[in-house]
Amino acid sequence: MSEPTPVWAVVALPLVLAALAYSAAALDTAFRAGGGPAAPLREGVRLIVQQRRRTLAPDVLLMRIGVISLPTAALLAATVIPLGDTSVWDLPVSVVWFNAMEVVAWGSLWLTGWGVNSAFPLIGGYRFLAQGLAYELPHMFALITAGLGAGSLDFGDVAAAQDDLWFVVWMPVAFAVYLLSALAMTFWGPLDHPVADDLAGGVAAELSGPDRLLFFAGRFALLTVAAAAAVPLFLGGGAGPWLPDWAWSLIKTCAVLAFLVWVRQRFPVIRMDRFMTAAWMVLIPATLLQTLVVGIVVVN
Amino acid sequence: MGLTARLLRFAHAHPRAFVITAPGATRTRLLVEAELRRRNGRMVTSPAAAAMLIVCGRPGSDLTAAVDTIWEDMPGPRSLVRLDGSASAERVVAELDRAAGRLADTAAQRADAEARRERGPWSPDSDADGMNEHGDQASGHQHDHAASSESDDGGGHEAIRHEDEDHDGDDNEHAPAADSGHAGHGAGSSDEDEQHREHMEHGGHAGHGNHGSGHGGHQHHMGAPMGLAMAERAADRDGLKLDVLHVPLGPALPDWPAGLVLRLTLQGDVVQAAEVAVMEGAADGSSFWDEPWLRSAAGEQLTTADAERRRAASHLDSVGRLLAVAGWESAADQARELRDEIIAGAPESDVAPRVAKLARRTGRSRTLRWMLSDVGVIDRDMAGRHGLIGPSARHLGDAFARLAGWLDEIGQALGRLDDSAPLLGSDGPRGPVERRTSAAVLAMLPELLDGAELAAARLTVASLDPDIDQVTAAKAEVPGE
Repeated sequence: MSEPTPVWAVVALPLVLAALAYSAAALDTAFRAGGGPAAPLREGVRLIVQQRRRTLAPDVLLMRIGVISLPTAALLAATVIPLGDTSVWDLPVSVVWFNAMEVVAWGSLWLTGWGVNSAFPLIGGYRFLAQGLAYELPHMFALITAGLGAGSLDFGDVAAAQDDLWFVVWMPVAFAVYLLSALAMTFWGPLDHPVADDLAGGVAAELSGPDRLLFFAGRFALLTVAAAAAVPLFLGGGAGPWLPDWAWSLIKTCAVLAFLVWVRQRFPVIRMDRFMTAAWMVLIPATLLQTLVVGIVVVN
Repeated sequence: MGLTARLLRFAHAHPRAFVITAPGATRTRLLVEAELRRRNGRMVTSPAAAAMLIVCGRPGSDLTAAVDTIWEDMPGPRSLVRLDGSASAERVVAELDRAAGRLADTAAQRADAEARRERGPWSPDSDADGMNEHGDQASGHQHDHAASSESDDGGGHEAIRHEDEDHDGDDNEHAPAADSGHAGHGAGSSDEDEQHREHMEHGGHAGHGNHGSGHGGHQHHMGAPMGLAMAERAADRDGLKLDVLHVPLGPALPDWPAGLVLRLTLQGDVVQAAEVAVMEGAADGSSFWDEPWLRSAAGEQLTTADAERRRAASHLDSVGRLLAVAGWESAADQARELRDEIIAGAPESDVAPRVAKLARRTGRSRTLRWMLSDVGVIDRDMAGRHGLIGPSARHLGDAFARLAGWLDEIGQALGRLDDSAPLLGSDGPRGPVERRTSAAVLAMLPELLDGAELAAARLTVASLDPDIDQVTAAKAEVPGE
């Protein structure tokens, strides 16, 4: 991993991210109304052509920052995630960088919800804030647990530490919490209350045209990145028989991504006024206990 | 066909529609929902996300104003479809085809955009000129509007007015002077005078009206940004000073009883007060869901099977709404699909197993139970006080109890789909049809919603699903009686 980043990787990263995000969107429409693999393309074209809707006295700058930061954060997070054992940016604390980029979603949603100056998006913003308070700590403990198991905060090292046994096997709680918090930070599926239909679309209620396209493309990109990060963290990275390791990374990423997309069909939305208690009384102790167990094993 | 037109046709092949239903047009709404599903289209929850605005039924004056507001605000390319309460399935198909054609008609869409641009951006001041009829609708609304926006247009994309007829064949109902200034008070806040009165009551500011548009007082006290009033503040339940927002829910809200408006006073997302209003349709029209029982009462011969079919469909419609509001789109779609098949006359052997599967899926969902329990709890005392009858009185308790009650009753109704005995009695889907039980539900809402979170408030309303058609039909009959 010490050799310089190949140029093709820099070019390929956004393309791969876009292709995976598009597949996730297509899979989602296939699960829902149907409409074939071209459905996200239709919607994309429609939104590019659509005019912008402006609310009265919006804070356009904040709103734009909110919308644009979502896909940007996803792309920046993707730079440190290894495909096989190649990542675009070989950072020794890549797990921390990944986490920092995810947290940008807090800002994105709050700025967007606040910036358009409308009641429902504002309430959607409140909802995401509450959601953040519920998921972020368990999420960080889940990341730390994997880091602790490998003794490193570098995705490459974490993946390499799983040569014998995948972390998902002996850190199942951390893995489950990671997936749940991945849903929460991408406000997807059962945790999409900030953009829920009962608020006419919540944070996104006033977004139209290119803004809407960027916002939701950013969400799919973030979902993709969250799925991709699960592979080096818990699923052994590129390890696997016969195929090259980049192929295994992709296959595992697709599997996790498909699961995350499917979950949306399976559950109703989870509201934070109910979930907050569970997050703090169950998830945080459970992840702490998991960290403790991993810590004891590592020390021994 | 040019490239742009071809692209637009491709983009709009699966319609994204915002549907507004006037009271008395339930049947049309069902036809529209079925047709949208057939086209792989979707009902979207915000006008900003839509390309088509579909108005089912003939809205009365208040609702017309709301429709106009939403239409003004919709970003182009856009298309308006009006279907009255008696529209046939063929008419729905034809109108949606026409709307798709208009969306791909680049010349018309450009003209529309140009006309809006010429009208210039909306602002509180320009509002005063065009708004003689609604003279006191001025600024101060940014906290009053809900799912929608005040459209102004810094970017020059979007202006206010549409005037081209290509867009909208039967546009005559638009009264230009009245629509212009509504720009974007959004889904539901069209009843401006009411809004203002309420605003003033809560605000308690004196000395308004010192500028041309009549009701501008708040902002001058507060050093208002952009000429807008700041939200007032009041103590909340925890003794903190919090902003008070006045947010109407309805009438143009998806999965919401047609014509119902709830004027909420919110602090954060907690409902501090709720006031119920009903926006009527222009046509009378009795309740679609009560129809078999009403016809039977009028002396017509109907079988139990006909009535039970309607009962099952009615409850499935309610279940679909509740599930949609609970954020479970895929289960909600399933309920709607079954509803449409049952109305279309699908045999019991075909639908019953699938309904049972849906009932298992939802009734046994632990997450759903977790989210719906203790939401909108009605106890015996409260039900008695408001004279509640019908299924919500039979299944006292929280929203989940009511959902389970509906699912039970759907199962029982499907068991009687082969019953050819003549229909006796008047116990419709929402209780005895002559008692118009939805009125009691409406009367109960303020008490039920007090202190609820906004999400819980929406779930509560969806779990009661009052049929506003019963209420408006009753009002329509009063002069004649």
